[in-house]
Amino acid sequence: MTDLDAVIHAPARLRVVATLATLDPADEITFPKLQQVLGMTAGNLSTHLRKLEDAGYVRVSKAHAGRKPVTYLALTSQGRRAFEDYTEALTGLLKGAGA
Amino acid sequence: MTDTPDGNDGRHPAPDAFSAADSLRILREQQDRARSALVPDGRLLCLLWGVAWLAGYLVLWTSARGTEGIPSGPAFVIFGGLLAAAIVITIVHSARRTGGTRGAGQRAGVLWGFTWCLAFLAYPFIIGGIARAGASDDVIGLVANGLACMIVGIMYLTGSACFADDGLYVLGAWIVLTGGVATSVGMPGTYLVMALLGGGGFLVITLVLQVIHLRRRRRADTGLEAAAVRQGPGDD
Repeated sequence: MTDLDAVIHAPARLRVVATLATLDPADEITFPKLQQVLGMTAGNLSTHLRKLEDAGYVRVSKAHAGRKPVTYLALTSQGRRAFEDYTEALTGLLKGAGA
Repeated sequence: MTDTPDGNDGRHPAPDAFSAADSLRILREQQDRARSALVPDGRLLCLLWGVAWLAGYLVLWTSARGTEGIPSGPAFVIFGGLLAAAIVITIVHSARRTGGTRGAGQRAGVLWGFTWCLAFLAYPFIIGGIARAGASDDVIGLVANGLACMIVGIMYLTGSACFADDGLYVLGAWIVLTGGVATSVGMPGTYLVMALLGGGGFLVITLVLQVIHLRRRRRADTGLEAAAVRQGPGDD
């Protein structure tokens, strides 16, 4: 398989990125809400988020709701572009496979 | 989720952890799931409001025909109860889905929500004002209904601009036009027009949204199947 972004091309991370891509580019989602949508354990999700953050695809910001710390997550513009490129490459691969 | 789905008969295990077709399927399924967890369902809301308007306005119309053009107290209570239920369900449903997110889109949503409250806060004062100025029951009924249609319709139209949602635009345009027709018909026919054009219109929009939803899903499924067949090892 050629040219598929290895950071995104793993089932769990693909699901994380696909979910974040459904948000408005200016919006962020809390860690617990993302965890609920994905049905992943907190540890598993953290591991994948760290890889995505290291690649510059995910932005993590901390805030406080009252006294409780809240972690917000969103795709960076680089991450959004990478996801679009990945989807395009995938579609191209599937179309090309028939030829 | 990490095991390879055997989409290729297992004869030629993919060199990667999973094939491009699997990958596209996971991507689509997850985005469907995410949308249904994060975005309010237009079909549900249209169905809800369609039933509330159809039943509520039919009650008003039936009652108004029996009592010299003015609906009875109990008829207004039933109508109010149905609308209140629709409002509560709309708020709970939208809050549940959009909770746990923040940002510019979220901020626009909150401001938009406040605008609804402001408009309907001023609303009873306008109706009270024209009543004190000597308006007849018919005039009060017509203005109360027409003004509510304009507020709701224009709110949906601005919502469509705020959230880039074409469905909301159709809904808003339909309500504004329904309000115009219903008011020009006059009492008690206004209530019948509201029930059939307004409530019925919501139900038709629900149906259209459902058909679009099913068609989109079917197209995605057949696209994936075709892709999987093309990718399959038996193809050569």
